[in-house]
Amino acid sequence: MSLFTEFPKMGRTDLRDFKKGIDESFRDFTFNYGEAIETFFDPLLFFLVWLEKLFLNTPWPIIIVIIAVLVYFGSRSIKLTIGAVLAFLVIGYLDMWDDTMATLAIISVATIVCISVGIPIGILMARSERTQTLITPILDVMQTIPSFVYLIPVVMLLGIGKVPGLLAVCIYAIPPIVRLTNLGIRLVDKDVMEASEAFGASYRQKLLGVQIPLALPNIFAGVNQTIMMALSMVVIASMIGVKGLGVPVLRAISNQYLALGVMNGLAIVVLAILFDRVSQKIGKRLQAHTESTK
Amino acid sequence: MNRLITSMFLAMATIFLASAAFADGHDTCGDITIAEMDWASAELIANIDKIILEEGYGCSVELIPGATMTTFASMDTKGEPDVAPELWANAVQTPLAKAEDEGRLFMLNGAPITGAGEGWMITSKTAEANGLKTLDDVLARPDLFPHPEDPSKGGIVTCPSGWGCQIATNQLFKAFDMEAKGWMLIDSGSSAGLNGSIEKAVTRDESWFGYYWGPTVLASSAGLTLLDMGAFSGNDNWDNCVMDPECQDPEPTGWVVSEVTSVVAANFIENGPKAGKAYIENRSFPAAVMSEMLMYMNSNQASGEDAAYEFLAKHPDLWTTWVTPEAASLIKEAL
Repeated sequence: MSLFTEFPKMGRTDLRDFKKGIDESFRDFTFNYGEAIETFFDPLLFFLVWLEKLFLNTPWPIIIVIIAVLVYFGSRSIKLTIGAVLAFLVIGYLDMWDDTMATLAIISVATIVCISVGIPIGILMARSERTQTLITPILDVMQTIPSFVYLIPVVMLLGIGKVPGLLAVCIYAIPPIVRLTNLGIRLVDKDVMEASEAFGASYRQKLLGVQIPLALPNIFAGVNQTIMMALSMVVIASMIGVKGLGVPVLRAISNQYLALGVMNGLAIVVLAILFDRVSQKIGKRLQAHTESTK
Repeated sequence: MNRLITSMFLAMATIFLASAAFADGHDTCGDITIAEMDWASAELIANIDKIILEEGYGCSVELIPGATMTTFASMDTKGEPDVAPELWANAVQTPLAKAEDEGRLFMLNGAPITGAGEGWMITSKTAEANGLKTLDDVLARPDLFPHPEDPSKGGIVTCPSGWGCQIATNQLFKAFDMEAKGWMLIDSGSSAGLNGSIEKAVTRDESWFGYYWGPTVLASSAGLTLLDMGAFSGNDNWDNCVMDPECQDPEPTGWVVSEVTSVVAANFIENGPKAGKAYIENRSFPAAVMSEMLMYMNSNQASGEDAAYEFLAKHPDLWTTWVTPEAASLIKEAL
């Protein structure tokens, strides 16, 4: 009868040994390979530190001019450019400049890493059904697993600091770019593909000349989503020692400093809106271009 | 129809009587909320309090997850939760003193854990191998604790963001003039980050230098030794400068003596069981027992609740002295 009232479960000691076994083998793994893995990521750490120092040591007017120029060439909108400059002036005035620059540095690197890893994976997924069925569940895990579940092993492997923070951000932020690259390529018209084949296009020509250009609006939507999700991970990344706007947010959370939390939270929102508007405008222009050639 | 209503009344009355009779067996107590802070020893004490107050004194206890600052703020402003079993009072000294003066909060127990301490610690192996005993010894050797982002400097791991000890660590960093001595701060971000960094250093046989506290699982299992930071230079320097991030010239000082306390809200004093109050006043865990329990929690991956039952089963000699004999027999029955 007890079989029905109580779920048949693993014995207490067995379960404990099972969990301990996993923990022990992970410890052995960190002991044996941790250093090698850390060395592998050293160039990335060097780049992150260098970029943060560059952002922090460049005089603020130059940074603001660069941002204005980038925003203008991205969006071709005077309104947005003025908005961006004003937003950064307010951020600086409210003493959040250094944290914002640190956040900007890690988000830029995270975006670059995600794009350069994500787009090739998306292309692979689009080329083969098998890769797609293999990678899709991995992406599901990456997007839904609570971040501290993988943060703890990452910290044990790489310590606290920028690199584990970057990994945490990328694990969460990479799925949209992969998914949308895959989708974009799959959505390319079959007739167009047939036509390009008929003209004797090679595999490479088909991919670079037809599929990717036609998939660009979707890919750009993926880049946009990736940046947004990277920004939403800023606070989590700060929990493992990444400098930036997340640190004051954490301080505000544990001390109920309302204003500090809201100000730094809004600074993250400002960054997000800027990235979003600019990348959306670029995406739209790409779309307009493909529409005009039709 | 009438019959149905009568029988329903009868049924309800029976239930009522039955529950009243059940409640009669215990001292009346009512609902109590206990803060379960997010570190192991506090989890353990909260769960032991829950079992003892429920089984021994007939309370109905709800555990509320919390952290030092958030829980204290809630107790201070709203009187909820009723009990903070392990509150590190240094972090909230001024507002706690004010709340005590105004009769909103009461410090029932000045030492729920005896022999607790906090401060800057290093891995014992590093200490022994290089003969490091005092903070000055360590500060002279930044090369032994390379900073991950700039190996030419030494790194000290700070306290999680928002904890009182983060301010103290940052201010003492200034006080000991550590920047000039070739040191940089390493932000730990959260307690998980801080623990992870120690865990990593220990599994990889690396050196570690930073803020930690004991008795804790990690401090014992990682073998951290508390550094001698010199004499305590007085409350004025500590309260007004070391704990104030705006203060520009903190003086070097040893870490303030940690006051671990059990604090309760006025509601608990007024409406809680008298005997329960006496229990909270009496209970005190020697550091050795606490270390042992924490190691048990760690090696068995036990939750605070599991460990509480283990403690009650293993150390009746200790806890029976904290409670009334009637409560002791009731608790023993329940185990």
